Amino acid sequence: MTTIAPESDVLLRDLSETQFAELYGADRFTMTVLSGRMRYIVEHMCGQLLNNTFSAILRDWYDFAATVHGPAELDYPMCSVSNSLAAFFGTMCDGVRNALEEYGPERLNPGDVLICNDPYRTGTHVNDVLFVRPVFSDGNIISFVSLRAHQMDMGGIVPAGFSSTKRDVYETGLVVSPQLLYAAGEPVMSVFNLFLDNARYGAMVMPDITTIRQNLDLAERLITETAERYGVPALLGSMRYACDMSAESMATALRSLPDGEYSSSGYIDADSIDDTEYKIVVNLKKAGDRLEVDLSGTSPQARTSINGSVLDAKTAVGVALKMLIDRDTPFTSGTYRPVDIVLPAGTIVSATPPDGAIFMFWEPCCVITAAIFDALQEALGDRAIGGDYGSLSLHNGNGTTEDGTPWVTTGQCGGEHGPWSGTQYGDGDSYQVIYLANNLDPATEAIEADLPVVVLRKEYVADSCGAGFNRGGAAVVKDTFWRRASEHWTSPLRVRDDVGFGVNGGCDGTRTGVWLFDDAEDRVVAGGGQMSLDGEVLADSTPVAGMFDSDGFDLSQDGGTFFHYGKNQIWRTRPGAVWRYRTAGAGGWGAAKTRDPQRVLRDVRNGYVTVAGAARDYGVVVIGDPEIDPEGLSVDEIATAELRSA
Amino acid sequence: MSANNKAAVVGVDVGGTFTDVVAVRGGKIEVAKVPTVYGNTEAAVLDGARELGVGDITHFNHASTHGLNAVLTRNLPKIGFLTTHGHRDILDIGRTWRPQEGLTDPTWRRSFGDADRPLVERYLRRGVRERITSNGEVMTPFDEDDARAQLELLARCNVEGVAICLLNAYVNPAHEERLRLLAREILGDVPVSVSSEVSPLAKEFARASTTVIDVLMKLIYSDYAHRLDQGLAAQQFAGQLNFADCAAELLPVDVAMEKPFRIVFAGPAAGTMASAHYGALIDSANLLCCDVGGTSSDISVVVDGDPFVRTTFELEHDLIVNTLSNEISSIGAGGGSLVKVNNFGELTVGPGSAGADPGPVCYGQGGTEPTMTDACLLIGILDADGFASGKSLESELALQSFGALDSSLDIESRIGQAFAIGVNNIAEGVTNIAVKHGLDPREFSLMAFGAAGPMLLPAALELVNAKEVIVPPNPGLFSAVGLTSTDLVYSDVASSYTTLDAGAAEHINDVYEQMEAKLRRQLPADAGDATIARTFDGRLAGQTWETPLVTVPGGRIDEQAIDTMITNFHEVYAARSGSSFEAMPVQGVSFRVSARIETPKVTFQEASRRAPDTTLEGAAITLRYLYGDDVDATAYDRDALCIDDQIVGPAVVREHTSTTFIPRGQVGLIGRLGEIRIRKA
Repeated sequence: MTTIAPESDVLLRDLSETQFAELYGADRFTMTVLSGRMRYIVEHMCGQLLNNTFSAILRDWYDFAATVHGPAELDYPMCSVSNSLAAFFGTMCDGVRNALEEYGPERLNPGDVLICNDPYRTGTHVNDVLFVRPVFSDGNIISFVSLRAHQMDMGGIVPAGFSSTKRDVYETGLVVSPQLLYAAGEPVMSVFNLFLDNARYGAMVMPDITTIRQNLDLAERLITETAERYGVPALLGSMRYACDMSAESMATALRSLPDGEYSSSGYIDADSIDDTEYKIVVNLKKAGDRLEVDLSGTSPQARTSINGSVLDAKTAVGVALKMLIDRDTPFTSGTYRPVDIVLPAGTIVSATPPDGAIFMFWEPCCVITAAIFDALQEALGDRAIGGDYGSLSLHNGNGTTEDGTPWVTTGQCGGEHGPWSGTQYGDGDSYQVIYLANNLDPATEAIEADLPVVVLRKEYVADSCGAGFNRGGAAVVKDTFWRRASEHWTSPLRVRDDVGFGVNGGCDGTRTGVWLFDDAEDRVVAGGGQMSLDGEVLADSTPVAGMFDSDGFDLSQDGGTFFHYGKNQIWRTRPGAVWRYRTAGAGGWGAAKTRDPQRVLRDVRNGYVTVAGAARDYGVVVIGDPEIDPEGLSVDEIATAELRSA
Repeated sequence: MSANNKAAVVGVDVGGTFTDVVAVRGGKIEVAKVPTVYGNTEAAVLDGARELGVGDITHFNHASTHGLNAVLTRNLPKIGFLTTHGHRDILDIGRTWRPQEGLTDPTWRRSFGDADRPLVERYLRRGVRERITSNGEVMTPFDEDDARAQLELLARCNVEGVAICLLNAYVNPAHEERLRLLAREILGDVPVSVSSEVSPLAKEFARASTTVIDVLMKLIYSDYAHRLDQGLAAQQFAGQLNFADCAAELLPVDVAMEKPFRIVFAGPAAGTMASAHYGALIDSANLLCCDVGGTSSDISVVVDGDPFVRTTFELEHDLIVNTLSNEISSIGAGGGSLVKVNNFGELTVGPGSAGADPGPVCYGQGGTEPTMTDACLLIGILDADGFASGKSLESELALQSFGALDSSLDIESRIGQAFAIGVNNIAEGVTNIAVKHGLDPREFSLMAFGAAGPMLLPAALELVNAKEVIVPPNPGLFSAVGLTSTDLVYSDVASSYTTLDAGAAEHINDVYEQMEAKLRRQLPADAGDATIARTFDGRLAGQTWETPLVTVPGGRIDEQAIDTMITNFHEVYAARSGSSFEAMPVQGVSFRVSARIETPKVTFQEASRRAPDTTLEGAAITLRYLYGDDVDATAYDRDALCIDDQIVGPAVVREHTSTTFIPRGQVGLIGRLGEIRIRKA
């Protein structure tokens, strides 16, 4: 779709040197060098941005992407995308093309920077502003370099934007259609003013934009140098070559799956208005080296900002397939060539304006990815991948310090990090970010230096991992103590399901829960600086989100009552409140009763599994007390054999 | 120069395979290369010392990869880790981010995480009830009963040492101090490292991992240092034993053993220091340094004579150590890099390596996959019979291995392209470093060392677009030589988030006065001429990444000094990032002091002058696969080269530890200190 494919079905490796040179305008060696160079260029853009950026969301969440695209006459092939957020990968191919086609590439001049932030045109959400710089050679555009970077604020009704509660496109923030931010190197003041007049935290937005422009300068210089050294035909050839490689790689990977139809579905619990579920359906048809992904049957768009756009759905499909079957080759627009996606308009993953508000786009994307993992688990056999913790359960808060200075926190104090599933290679890590993202975990000491918050606890929960031959990672429990009166937005969007599903005979991890303890300072002091992990304390909490026992608000093993995060749009707390987020546990891989008893013993010693959990989940009888004498534990082999054979 | 000529200094670089010992007396370099004995590292050092004699040596300067290898292989002593209750998983969590290769890989795991190969098992990581807040106030008092219980558990598990890192201890270390006393009482005389002393910097993971590495290094190096000290004394060594740190600066052995995390990555840093020192002697202050070994290339930068120093480095992905270190970027490209064919029919070179065992195919030790060294042999750059260490190389085996590749290319193209791609990989690595630091390679010389550097870097010259390639004498031993060209440096650092304004002057002054008083107490009695320098790491309000090593005025810090600090910050920031934001407040994060005591340094002998009526003579050789047809070239013996000799490429220069390849279109010129400067003809 996006590049000129080789005319024949001949694999790249089988092309003669002459055929190869005819097709790409240079020899194989030059193509290897140039396609590598395209990847270095985006890496440099990202490295520079990361080191010089101001807003926490960019520097900690890698919430940006950089690309190199080819010119219009090649249909804008995205030959390289950065090492940053996978959640951007698929949107960048089309987002850049859409912005350029609407503006008209023929109107661009050297030194221009074109911007656009409309999610329906470019994917993700309004805070992610796309910046595109044309690169010229002899008066012709030979390439576009782009950066899409999250801005601290884009106006709208929630400071910093992160919320599931916004009801339409007008509430989500300022929408900027394709227009110039710099014309021939000079800032367009009216457009800068548009930002400064509509967005909060302008003091931070402005230096970030300066840094972004410098990165576009750098990338432009590197592309120009490359064109000068190797010639424009070879440069353009390498853009097509990089995309052809990805397309061939995905096609080859698809061939390794058995032909057939596979399906699954998953849910978002609710929007922030009432507790109605949203279903996302995936039906896969695989034949030869092609795949159709049909999302028909997916629920209509939600009434608040938990929707994603059609481009986000495309990203989720592409990233899921890369993760499952084609990890090693770079992601380009060619990745999608063997894949067709069917998706009606107006669903929760193809929302339309003005009512289909988009902000938390990655949440329905996680459901698509998980449903594809689930649908293909039998076809993949040992290669199957289970569920992670399913949702960022994002927390966003704000307030003022004693002297009235406003503070804001995004993605630091909720359930943003959690475990990954076990795989054929081993147990899963317990502290990662969702498969679709990548980020730096903010240091507790940095959070506490910046905010009136004490992070009381950030540790793993025993018996929360999905058991398996290789177990999933453990749930993370995070307790935060708020010293000032605060406003909070919380978005735990997937507490109903066992999101950390096991594969290949492995078990599911435990579910997600969120609780709020109002006025808890005395309790924390009495607890030696902690809120106890004992389930009994939960009876005194305000249950925020989860499937809970109705009497004590503890996580229910099966069934339970659903508590809806949207019961309060804004959670207001007095000084001394404690939030507790407990993520889901991740899925196990392979049958738990085949796990080596010595590995189970090690888990008991290390507190990932209790003595009771070892017997219940793994059929392993461990003797001793891990809290008093961790090295004195042993496996009762006879009792274990009996239990495992029962 | 004359004073230095009297110096007698030894530099030792303990590598995984060989221990290089270099003695410099009166500008003359003597060399001993001894096989490293696993588990008895000091034996090789002492053997080398015995071979060269140390009775007259004044400084014995030592760098080792021993501790680094112990971490990488997890061949580690058993230690405990104590932290604030509720946070025992700091060491598993790290900073969480994944590298490029983990971005679309759901099977990726953190190398030091519990699911893979933890440094400290979770049951030995214990929380203690206590809590200090970010402003240093006690929120929860230290619970002595709980602390005892945790320490008693560690005692039952027979830990050999303990790392202590409590939250916010960089602001208020009181609870860490009490825990240390209790650890002494309960565990007895085992090494204890405390984060507020080891690395009093904010951000708990980096401080915790640094503290863990520190106690591990205490256990690994203390006995070693003692045995080395005694072994040298038995050889009548009466000088000063020094260990190099990660910036290749020297620490007296007793100071090094107090904070041994600083020496964990000393070996590679020494190469950068050697380049800086040698560059200064030949008037080349701007260098891209490239140490090409068997498996990897270590690339670093020297700007205006100084290495690029950073404040942290990673032992593995995200396994951070907070210490000043020469910034070195390692890429998987070296003489042993494997040549393969990928799914698209592209030849690839590295990052896989044949290592020392089996080594390249031509070594005849059982290797079957071709390597860069095999390509160089078949091309004719390496001499089958005259290879370093006297080994003879088997060309036929090498040729067979290229023939066995599943490629549509003919055999000539396979060999020629393998060489070109291997060279290109190194060139991209060097270019990346230059771009990252915003440097223009045309103003820089490529310093080529390591056994394979001079063989591959001249071919990369045009791709990198650097001014020239410089091949120093003894390029294969250059890192060890670097240890004879560095100073003793005592240093300290403190972290205190402070917005720089007039009100901060007194606080910052106190920070510096306290650190400098402490530092002076450490200095030896004869250190009267030590220069004390101050710097700070700062950031613009809102940033989390610091701009390191901004100069701070000496003397009392007053309002004017603060203004100078702010101005200096903006200058450094602009130089590093290309823009400055002078309207934004600057926050000081870490404050550093160092005292430098100059030590005797190596000088290099001048190369000989060519006797009248003699000309440089070489042997005729044939180079294949590089230029289409076979090409005649000349091979020279490096010992025969004299000042101002010119070598026109294609040519090869052979010496004991290395081979230099000067491609067609380049000319090598011999400089005053024997260096070969290779430029475009």
